[in-house]
Amino acid sequence: MKTADTRPAPPHRRVAPPYRIVALPAAIALGAVGGIAAEHANVPFVFGALAGAAAGVLGVLALPSIPTRRATVVLLGLGGLAALRHASFAGADRSWLLVVWAAATMLTLVLVDRADAETVPALDGGAALPSRLGETARVGGIIAIVVAIAAVAFVPTVTARLGRHVWPGLAPSDADAFGSPSSLKSSPDLDLTTRPRLSDAVVFTVDASRPDYWRGETFDVYNGSSWTNSAPDDDQTFLDHVGTKVEVPADPYDVGAENGRDFRQTFHVEAGYSDVVFAAPSAREVETDKLLHQRPDGTLRIATPFHGEVDPGAGFGKGAVYTVTSRSLPVTENELRAADVRPVPEPITAQYAQLPNTTARVVDLARAITAGQGTTYDKVRAIERWLGENTRYSLNAPLSPPKVDVVDDFLFHTRLGWCEQIASSLVVLARSAGIPARLVTGFAPGSRDALTGRFVVRERDAHAWAEIYFAGIGWQGFDPTASVPLAGDVHSSGSWLSAARHNAIPLAITAIVVMILLALTPEITAASRRRRERRATWSAGAMHRLERAGRKAGRVRAPPETPREYAHALAERIGDPRLEEVGDTLDAALYSAHGASGAARDRADAVLTSVRP
Amino acid sequence: MSPRTDEGGPGVAAGHGPGAALRGAAAHQGPGDLTLTSIVLFTLGAYGVAAGAATGQEGVVAVGVFAFTLFAIGILWPVWSLSRLTVSVVAPTDAVVGDPVELGIRISGRAARLDVRALDPPGNWWRTSAPADGRLPHTAARRGVFRSVRIQLRTSAPLGVFVRTRTLRVMLPAPIAVGPRPSAAAAILQPVPTERISMGSPVIVSSGVDTVRAVRPYAPGDPARLVHWPTSARRGELVVREHEPPPAVGVALVVDLRGATPEAAASLAAGIGRATLAGGGLVWCGTYEDGAPVGATVADTLDLERRLARAAPGPPASPPDRWPVETVSA
Repeated sequence: MKTADTRPAPPHRRVAPPYRIVALPAAIALGAVGGIAAEHANVPFVFGALAGAAAGVLGVLALPSIPTRRATVVLLGLGGLAALRHASFAGADRSWLLVVWAAATMLTLVLVDRADAETVPALDGGAALPSRLGETARVGGIIAIVVAIAAVAFVPTVTARLGRHVWPGLAPSDADAFGSPSSLKSSPDLDLTTRPRLSDAVVFTVDASRPDYWRGETFDVYNGSSWTNSAPDDDQTFLDHVGTKVEVPADPYDVGAENGRDFRQTFHVEAGYSDVVFAAPSAREVETDKLLHQRPDGTLRIATPFHGEVDPGAGFGKGAVYTVTSRSLPVTENELRAADVRPVPEPITAQYAQLPNTTARVVDLARAITAGQGTTYDKVRAIERWLGENTRYSLNAPLSPPKVDVVDDFLFHTRLGWCEQIASSLVVLARSAGIPARLVTGFAPGSRDALTGRFVVRERDAHAWAEIYFAGIGWQGFDPTASVPLAGDVHSSGSWLSAARHNAIPLAITAIVVMILLALTPEITAASRRRRERRATWSAGAMHRLERAGRKAGRVRAPPETPREYAHALAERIGDPRLEEVGDTLDAALYSAHGASGAARDRADAVLTSVRP
Repeated sequence: MSPRTDEGGPGVAAGHGPGAALRGAAAHQGPGDLTLTSIVLFTLGAYGVAAGAATGQEGVVAVGVFAFTLFAIGILWPVWSLSRLTVSVVAPTDAVVGDPVELGIRISGRAARLDVRALDPPGNWWRTSAPADGRLPHTAARRGVFRSVRIQLRTSAPLGVFVRTRTLRVMLPAPIAVGPRPSAAAAILQPVPTERISMGSPVIVSSGVDTVRAVRPYAPGDPARLVHWPTSARRGELVVREHEPPPAVGVALVVDLRGATPEAAASLAAGIGRATLAGGGLVWCGTYEDGAPVGATVADTLDLERRLARAAPGPPASPPDRWPVETVSA
């Protein structure tokens, strides 16, 4: 025969029920961070996410000997540190995980505080706490809006004003170096017979007061299919550091670089590797921790043990920051036209104005285009116009066949090409007309980020343009591709975060509207409820009309006043004794077991309609 | 410790009688407490902003700004939330030290959740949301007549970053008289002059001797035990017995609180008085109240407690002639 077990149950410590729900957002928060950390450590994302989620669940539910709030906050703190550690490495693709972490962290804090509140005994007769879901949703929405506004307001300010101008960044790995876009790596030549890779990946961002072309390298020798630089690789000047500052000697023939206005830019490298120091023309000072050397044409690159070869250890890695101060002379068209009165220095003519290795018909075309143009500037503009009128831009243009002059093929056959063909044509045509010119590669300004104010430069912003020498002024850039859509034309990026940044102002307005609506929700709900009550019962509607009449008469109903008391007081104030009967009818309708008669209601309605406060 | 009929005790404010404003009571606000959450968020925020600013990494700065924003919201929200609340309290008119009383509390304004308690002495916290009408249990700790109570509100909603505590001194619509807790004492039932009985309120005096003087028709309020059933049966209507008035007994309590232990003296006086009243005796109480000696026969224990609640150190009234006197000194 079984007997009831009357022994006391062994003590079983469990987390109090209100805290159990906390495990869910805690798991999400730590799972998001775990996923980011795992990817950074080259571990599959799912492993990190599961580990983080498990830590969150166990931390909340399996440590009953530790106050749940304390355990949860400590866990969230660790998750926050991990988020800080890996935030900069998350990349655009995983930035949403940071948002998930932030949202889940905030919800965890709300829920754990709510759970704490539920452990306090309820006040006898007091109001019940709002529903957990409702409170969490409302608070979460408001906080999310405030956080978004704070992020929009402060992140650019902090990064722009407090951000360092020099930072080493990560040491690039071999994979970074060899996987990096060719547009970021110094190269002895520019092959015009290969199609460039133009992805949406951000290669660097630039803090600058205005957009400019970020110049990388120049090329002056054209051989029909590619460009090279006439300066030998070993003809390079190592630049001395003074602290982190490197003074860049000015090209003696570049007057603007000597006497122009300063323009400061800070580059934040986002790609895994880069060994070219990009800068608006013409760089005069670089702040960096890297050893630099300068080619005779002014190109700056990171010094490597083996010239022209990629050295992962010497390049800028992801996160590297360097600042360039450039100097250029703002000029007008008239000044450029007037430059012809001065002679072009002989070394410039010798290096940059020699007839290029091209076909005779290209030379003839150049002469035909520039015929009748009096100045160098007008000749260049004429060539630009001709290119704009007779060629089209396309990244899908057919590649020139082998052993065919690329410029000739472009100008006389396909008339379809991208910036390299178009800019090469301008340089070749200009030289054919006796104008000193060279090809420049680098990046278009990119799109300005609405959130950070930085110019976001992507791989597809890689660009080529021409520089023309003007005596007494120096090198001036001409972009013949400008009249047609550039490869670097701004498109919406794939990143939702970038899309959000581009739409920061509409988002902020929407957020404010939503916040106002949230704030007004209780009032709107209460008003709606009152309206429904008025429609549902005669007494509520009549009471509303009576109170409205009272408000107009300047006599608001006091909370403890019964309808009858109020109506009588109002009758005396307005001088309309009929209101007393309205009060009596209301009292009967509200409190009498039999209610008010239909006739009494009709009379009351008539009084309320005709009363004149 | 002396009772404070005008200024002290558990939150007494001077010069406010019944009908004083319920709302907008003068508030003095105490500080709040930062929690572990605040330390964590502040650390994350400071580190994130500093490290992010140093490196120019927007992601790190964003995490820091997020943590700082939560930190700021976590502090400002409770402060703002409690600042909008007003509290009114209705208390019973009588209480005894150590006995629980229920304060009717009304919290106006809007707050998702908050805790509330009465101070002097600090009671337990009770949770509610606002607006709310509730009953707040409290135990009076000190003797006296109190015209206000101190109510404490606190909240850490919504993030638990900062526990904001706000203390309000709330005027009572009617003062509460907190009498002393009676200590154990024996009744003093000694004969007192009968002519003095009329000075007090009507009381039923039972001497234990059932001497029937007459009968009279029943009147509402007469105890059923006084119904004289045989006569009622004869007359066909209810009649009740009228007793001979018993010989009056009682004591004159002279309560002199000028001394080191006024509360103990008041408790002893309450004990003697209650025991005497319970034994059917009369109690004359001489005290010093509101700056003057006061002496009068008390009607019942409630009256006795009120008298003792108002009693203050000072020369008590002289006892009436020929009354047995019990002097209780502090």
